[in-house]
Amino acid sequence: MKSLEPLFNPRSIVLVGASHTGLKLGGVVLKNLLRLRPKVRVFPVNPKFRRLMGVRSYATIDEIWGDEIPKSKNDLAIIIRPAPETPGILEELKGRVKCAIIVSAGFAEAGRMDLQEAVQRIAREGGIRLVGPNCMGVHNSSNGLDTFILTAERLSRPHPGGVAIVTQSGAVLSLIFEAFSLSQPPVGSSITAHYGNAADIDESDIFEYLEGDDNTKAVISYIESVRDGRRFIRRARALARRKPLLILKAGKAAAGQAAAFSHTGRLAGSYRVFKSVLAQFGLAEAADFEDLVDGARALALQKPLKGNRVLILTNGGGAGVLASDECARQGFYEAGMPPRKLARFKKIFPPFYVPGNPFDLTAQVKDEDYRTVLEGLKEDYDGFIIIALSAVRGITEGLGLVLADFKRRSGKPMVFHTGRDAVGQKLSRTLEEAGIPALNSPERAVRALRKLLKKD
Amino acid sequence: MIKDALKSLLDETAGRQPMEHEVKRLLKGLGLSVPKGFFIPAGNFTTEGVRLLHRKKLRFPLVVKAASPDIRSKSEARAVVLGIRTEGELERSAREILKNVKKARGVLVEEMIGGGLETIAGGLIDAQFGPVVMFGLGGVFVEVFHDVSFALAPASRREALKLASRIKGFGLLKGVRGRPSVDFNALAASLVTVSRLIATGLIKEIDLNPLALSPEGAFVLDAKIFV
Repeated sequence: MKSLEPLFNPRSIVLVGASHTGLKLGGVVLKNLLRLRPKVRVFPVNPKFRRLMGVRSYATIDEIWGDEIPKSKNDLAIIIRPAPETPGILEELKGRVKCAIIVSAGFAEAGRMDLQEAVQRIAREGGIRLVGPNCMGVHNSSNGLDTFILTAERLSRPHPGGVAIVTQSGAVLSLIFEAFSLSQPPVGSSITAHYGNAADIDESDIFEYLEGDDNTKAVISYIESVRDGRRFIRRARALARRKPLLILKAGKAAAGQAAAFSHTGRLAGSYRVFKSVLAQFGLAEAADFEDLVDGARALALQKPLKGNRVLILTNGGGAGVLASDECARQGFYEAGMPPRKLARFKKIFPPFYVPGNPFDLTAQVKDEDYRTVLEGLKEDYDGFIIIALSAVRGITEGLGLVLADFKRRSGKPMVFHTGRDAVGQKLSRTLEEAGIPALNSPERAVRALRKLLKKD
Repeated sequence: MIKDALKSLLDETAGRQPMEHEVKRLLKGLGLSVPKGFFIPAGNFTTEGVRLLHRKKLRFPLVVKAASPDIRSKSEARAVVLGIRTEGELERSAREILKNVKKARGVLVEEMIGGGLETIAGGLIDAQFGPVVMFGLGGVFVEVFHDVSFALAPASRREALKLASRIKGFGLLKGVRGRPSVDFNALAASLVTVSRLIATGLIKEIDLNPLALSPEGAFVLDAKIFV
């Protein structure tokens, strides 16, 4: 765990392939790194310039250390040079940096196993922990570290928050960032790591680091393949014991494997095995991209569910039925209401309200009705799915305070679905601040709540 | 112990795939239930051979299968004859199989076991997770429903039962519409054994298909090992 501190929290960074202009990748990264000064020392390397973006630049790697003996170690090197040059560059950095990120592509993914093996070997010999090659590297919202080659203008970074993102794909990373920033309200991230070809550091190493990262409340991970499945399971279980971990495994359609002499071989698609093993160890899996992002919101905000009894509280019948169908698919128990309480609700509410589960407050609803139902039933259910279609007059911004207040006092897991009009948007923000995620459909709300149910 | 038993089978069959009767002998030695039967080598195949039947006290109806280290042999036309009820029928069928399946080294004659829920138990070396054990609905169901689940091997008895409980058709095992539950002890023992065999690292794949489950036990009706 200690060994990755220089990667996520560097005090000094060498940028090989720095550039003078934001039109080049080496310039995008330099611009982001310079924002870290003066807390972090930044050493750009470029043979043609003495100064870059107003700071001293070094013609060679040697020049950074000059005559210094013994050579002090810098924390991190970022390499943005064509793949064939990288073994030589890494050779020069031996004994001089603790970690390195090779951003460049053109290694194993392009059929150049030789180059990948070369950097792997040199890093091992030189005691350098390596991220990549073929990767975006890391983003840490708590200290501003950002090694991404995509500009913030084109790809906005999430605000500081509790979700760590561990991804094998840079494209999926950009999808997640977009989804986090554009969702209403936005989701915040802690540490993001894209490890690309995983010549050295892979998902398991990063899981291990995140176990001890206090800013990270929940972890989501996009995985195409793992090199060592048994180690992956060990690290994922260790992490999941400390904080929620949600995994999206891609490549679900892959055919059977092995020489497949047997039925077993033909049936053992790599995804089938992967999915089974996750289930065997109670590790949570997201069904698809949307599920991953929604799950991240729910997990970052709330504690796990204590049981699977849920109540659907709605002001629209159909929306409640959709939620109810999803509850059945997700294995929730839509427990009926104690008869005594049912009788009481029938007495105090207008005759056209439909008490039960789902509990339909109809279009005649008032904000306070939600409080009445929740207070009356808080001991009878483990979690609550709240639907407030905001097109009706009786739903106001005041509902946000009612629900936030209930959440604070009861501590029960809740999810929320509302409209996207002005009132709905304000409600969503109020609730998110109170720790209740707002989701874009009744079904997505149910699925997000499901992520809070620990598997056995 | 499992490893030693497997090793001695592999020594015996060095350089070729073990045949069904050899795999079944191994499994029987490890405590699994297999149908009563015997192997008749092609060279020895005479009316004399059929008389062995009486000495081994096999009961009709019987099954005759081509025995061959070539795994494709059994899927050839007329490599298996079911529901044999007389000695004459047995001799005729066996001769036909030997004529038909060129690579056959003999035939396996077994008592035919009817009934039971056809399941599949298997093991393979997964590219990412190493040795894994599989369980699912077998026979014809496996081709259509693909209702299988996997667990890391070797698996304990408890893990084996959990593996079985993860398939969609688990309700069929527990018994539906008044049908009795299958013998979960026998099922768990079969899965544990398969998981230990694949975990030895000595073989590439193993298949018990079908593994017939009933309240009375778990019968290995067909078995293959690939080295």
